[in-house]
Amino acid sequence: MTAERCREWRELLGAYALDRLPVGERAGLEAHLEGCAECRAELDSLAGVARLMPLADPGRFETAPSPPAALGDRVLAAVESERRASERESRGRRRWRLGLALSGVAAATAALAIFVLAGSGGEGAPEREVAFHSLPPRMEIETTLVPHSFGTEIHVYVSGVRSGTLCRVFLRDDAGRRSSAGSFRYRWGEDSEAVLTSALDLSNAAAVGIQVGRQTFEAGV
Amino acid sequence: MPPGALSGERDVREAYAAHAGELYGFAVRSLGDAGLAEEAVQETFLRAWRAGERFDPEIGSLRTWLFAILRNVVIDFGRARAVRPRVAESGVEPAVEPIDEALLGWQIEEAMRRIGEQHRQVLLETYYKGRPYAEVAADLGVPEGTVKSRVYYGLRALRVALEEIGYDG
Repeated sequence: MTAERCREWRELLGAYALDRLPVGERAGLEAHLEGCAECRAELDSLAGVARLMPLADPGRFETAPSPPAALGDRVLAAVESERRASERESRGRRRWRLGLALSGVAAATAALAIFVLAGSGGEGAPEREVAFHSLPPRMEIETTLVPHSFGTEIHVYVSGVRSGTLCRVFLRDDAGRRSSAGSFRYRWGEDSEAVLTSALDLSNAAAVGIQVGRQTFEAGV
Repeated sequence: MPPGALSGERDVREAYAAHAGELYGFAVRSLGDAGLAEEAVQETFLRAWRAGERFDPEIGSLRTWLFAILRNVVIDFGRARAVRPRVAESGVEPAVEPIDEALLGWQIEEAMRRIGEQHRQVLLETYYKGRPYAEVAADLGVPEGTVKSRVYYGLRALRVALEEIGYDG
């Protein structure tokens, strides 16, 4: 069977697949299909498309509806607002956990606090979030400083360092004197936050510092 | 985060520019309401963004993934509305889910919009309107054989267009 001869038969395959070929032409085509595997394969693949055609609505062939121009902005705004909400939520969760940890500290220091003169500390003043910049890649340190009459409570969040690393936290005053807030070990996979306390008043603190292993990082308050 | 994930605003913006038109077209087709379709598209991008880390370009294209999400959104929206009483009416379970029937229908319509005008015309006239080939040939001023061959090449073009938009059946 020559290719040219197949071409003539093939051009009838569309009508045949859609069951629109007149009876007179059908017999000849079917005889050809008997002996031509290539044309049979072609018919099969066209029949797959033909089977789907009743599902289409011809009223929709000309133009596709397009979304209103404002929809794109609404989608981006929705994503942005959800991103902000989830950020707030995770920050809230962190605070809440820190709050629980702090209640123990607060009880322990309550006895101490009553001896401290009222007004000497920064009780009631706003807390401060201090971010550490220019850290090594993948390392993160965030601190929140909460003023109290007995000194400054320091919430430290660390990530991206080796598990077991010793971290020493301190406040530094204007004169460069360090006031230790204690130390903790960073444990990977566990709560990576610590709550410490320094006797230095937050109003006198110039910087908060953390010594992670052998490296020391400071951030201005 | 794997490459291609919808992690940032720019990713969402790009995905929207590339695929929102088609997603919206299918949403309108299956929900039958422009307002609901807009909500469905917005919900699709939100879900995609939330699950951005789970998108794996090794498994399938972003387009395929978005369509899979939209399909679920449309089903959820459909559940919220009254369910069409198809089964009760005919007494027979439909062979495919209405949503998949809508998707296949939309794919054919989208493919029809992509093929050449001459091909679309003969398929519309001879198949959808059921007009005899001779009549259509006379209208177009071409031999009847030309109408038949256009039906054949039209079906082939339709098959190629369907493959382009992801139909693999």
